[in-house]
Amino acid sequence: MVYSLPEEVLEHVFSFITSDKDRNAVSLVCKSWYEIERWCRRKVFVGNCYAVSPGIMIRRFPELRAVELKGKPHFADFNLVPDGWGGYACSWIDEMSRAYPWLEEIRLKRMVVSDESLELISTAFKNFKVLVLSSCEGFSTDGLSAIASNCRNLKELDLRESEVMDLSGRWLSHFPDTFTSLESLNISCLGSEVSFSALERLVARSPNLKTLRLNRAVPLGKLSTLLHQAPQLVELGTGAYSSGIRSDVYTGLSKAFLGCKELKGLSGFWDADPSYLPALYSVCSRLTTLNLSYSTIRSPDITKVIGQCPNLQRLWVLDHIEDSGLNALALSCKNLQELRVFPSDLYAADVNVTLTEQGLVSVSQGCPKLQSVLYFCHQMSNSALITIAKNRPNLTCFRLCIIEPRTPDYLTHEPLDIGFGAIVKHCKNLNRLSLSGLLTDRVFEYIGTHAKKLEMLSIAFAGDSDLGLHHVLSGCESLKKLEIRDCPFGDTALLANVAKLATMRSLWMSSCAVSIGACKILSQKMPMLNVEVIDENGSLDSRLDSCLVEKLYVYRTVAGPRSDMPGYIWTMDRESANRI
Amino acid sequence: MDVTLGLLPDSPAGDDGGGVPSGVSTTVKSILTKEDNNKNNMVMCSEVSSSYPVGDQHLGDLELGLGLSIGGGGGGGGLKGKVVAGGGWSQYARILTAKDFKQNSCSSSSCSVSIPNSATSGFKRSATDSVSPTNGNSVVGWPPVSKAHRMPSLANENKSPTGNRISVTEQNKSKNRTAVINDYSNEKARISDKKYHSVKVNMDGSLIGRKVDLNAHTSYEMLAQTLEEMFFRRRSSTEAAKSSRLLDGTSEFVLTYEDKDGDCMLVGDVPWQMFLSSVKRLRIMKNSESNELAPRFQENNERRRTDVV
Repeated sequence: MVYSLPEEVLEHVFSFITSDKDRNAVSLVCKSWYEIERWCRRKVFVGNCYAVSPGIMIRRFPELRAVELKGKPHFADFNLVPDGWGGYACSWIDEMSRAYPWLEEIRLKRMVVSDESLELISTAFKNFKVLVLSSCEGFSTDGLSAIASNCRNLKELDLRESEVMDLSGRWLSHFPDTFTSLESLNISCLGSEVSFSALERLVARSPNLKTLRLNRAVPLGKLSTLLHQAPQLVELGTGAYSSGIRSDVYTGLSKAFLGCKELKGLSGFWDADPSYLPALYSVCSRLTTLNLSYSTIRSPDITKVIGQCPNLQRLWVLDHIEDSGLNALALSCKNLQELRVFPSDLYAADVNVTLTEQGLVSVSQGCPKLQSVLYFCHQMSNSALITIAKNRPNLTCFRLCIIEPRTPDYLTHEPLDIGFGAIVKHCKNLNRLSLSGLLTDRVFEYIGTHAKKLEMLSIAFAGDSDLGLHHVLSGCESLKKLEIRDCPFGDTALLANVAKLATMRSLWMSSCAVSIGACKILSQKMPMLNVEVIDENGSLDSRLDSCLVEKLYVYRTVAGPRSDMPGYIWTMDRESANRI
Repeated sequence: MDVTLGLLPDSPAGDDGGGVPSGVSTTVKSILTKEDNNKNNMVMCSEVSSSYPVGDQHLGDLELGLGLSIGGGGGGGGLKGKVVAGGGWSQYARILTAKDFKQNSCSSSSCSVSIPNSATSGFKRSATDSVSPTNGNSVVGWPPVSKAHRMPSLANENKSPTGNRISVTEQNKSKNRTAVINDYSNEKARISDKKYHSVKVNMDGSLIGRKVDLNAHTSYEMLAQTLEEMFFRRRSSTEAAKSSRLLDGTSEFVLTYEDKDGDCMLVGDVPWQMFLSSVKRLRIMKNSESNELAPRFQENNERRRTDVV
């Protein structure tokens, strides 16, 4: 029956299938479905840019409109990946510029992008619409000028958390006067000031602008001007949120916020002055997302704001919120789904905010829809973790960072094994977990046994022996990304689970106990893996096989070993440990 | 709390069952047993069943053949192993027990590492980053906070009482005006307390900048060496490395830095510690652009070294 349906019909049916997982499933049904599907696939996500080559992707999917790539390992965010590691977008953009003249969207994360590539994007793709550069680097405002000047149909330019060589703010003025299609602009990571009048005119002629995230340099006094030009905004990131004592600024701001009937998300708030917060009370009842994590306002002020936000779904905040603020959150925000509490003062010897495990317990009790947690704190107990787990079995993401490594349960001085064990046991849909505190191999036993849907696991300063790693690799069926630092995990567990590594996207192990010899064996046994040893202490050739490696990054690939590694990365090739 | 789990491999896979979930289940022989004839056969590669549904996103990305997937071990329990004969690895050709994992395999005396069995001790490494921190401050990349949320300025932020109408930045400005030296030495103390003090380094003619951790260096010599390795090292070049040193003027480049006042200064003029406290970023400048620094440059031109980098 199915085989008698003409291709056009099947193609039409497939056009309703947009999720990557479903598309992949479709392509595996039979050869003809594979063929039909590959010609009509319009977007692809490549979780590791070295897992496949641009050529292979282009050969299989000749008609893409949107490509998303990720480069460096996640631990690059924490300076664990040395500079020059790789993740260059250049070859991808070059090949795509030839193969996909109708490409519309490029999303890159943790990749190195050059100005030349940005220029190429701006000229090669006639209908280019969306550019998202998340935590990228290697480009300057000159590249942005090219995008601004040439992309006539640009809808989205999002530079979130990228490191941009900020030569000047003039690039924004390069958007031509005829350019009116902008829907989303995020320049929050830029240091230098953009021309305000150019920004204002841009906003004024962009009737579809829904998301605007300004950088710190945009003064608060000018914010109301922008808001008056764009009352249709749904997401706003303010610049610096202080302006001395200026009642005119305050009044102007209040009036402007009153006019923003569609506003659902707020962020920015650098240097926030609490006296300006009431200006935004009029939008609070509609707010679903609030990011106060760049501001140092204290708990009473935070509490006043969130008390007005009954529809809040996502809150990012510093630990200044304290337990009292979190208690208030638990009472007011019954729709809360995601909470992230960041540490304010990483280097203080004494803790001067009262944020403890109690705050998280309150939120877990009071917010029935809570799914995603990122929480930095100084103390934790097993009983708190067990309570949280029992309160919130619907958690899908649980990342706890107890700031001092190897901190035990502060009440019992025991390891936190059973606490995290409870989390994985009760939260059956947990797909992301980050561990901290004092942990033995037991916690990994619990994880291997219960965390069947876990896809990403981050481990630091934990475990006693290889048994811990073995539990994880042999038990976590859905594991895709595993990143480990400073744990006594070594050769035995790694080599006992080599096949597992081919089912995962990647494995990162730094400051562990893996030897060069094991890396060689792993590489020999698993030709579909790239086994990369990062070692900045000189050549590996002169060292014994029993010597430990600094950092190991293993990932599956169909593209073979990469050719753009810097001098301090060694790939274990089949015959020897020589660098390629 | 009633989580009770036996030790591997005796325990069954947990109370909710770790068996193969529903979905296509393809039993594939492991790659190891297939391809290794004479080589040392490693380990427990077992018959594994696919625990991934056929439509797994990443399988799709990797263009594996139809229905073929290599699954992880089915279930959280022990490894069911095929006994594979092999040379030196025969010790692994049996079912692994907890005992096996307690022995560590690193026995090299040249690497100063000890793998502890107790949960509380760290272990030393010969690498630069410490893994036995006494406090969270001294470890690279810990706590895991990304750059956007790493706010050293908050450490010095005036913790004003709430309701204060004067903005925080204004307060800081006045504080700075009256007590520059004090704040400055606080900042410096904090910087040197941190294990990690990195500054950006840009080289003329190179678009991609680098970062270098100044606290990992103790002298100008060391810093220059690191920078030379970063920017001038060639991976597979047959030409000899330039026998140039950034500090003595024999290179075609000169090492300069931008200090806290925004001025461009030649590296090496002030004592190292003073340099550390005032440097904001580094720049490897082409000789041709360094005319304003002429006097010292010409003087150093006299000396030549022949050390190879």
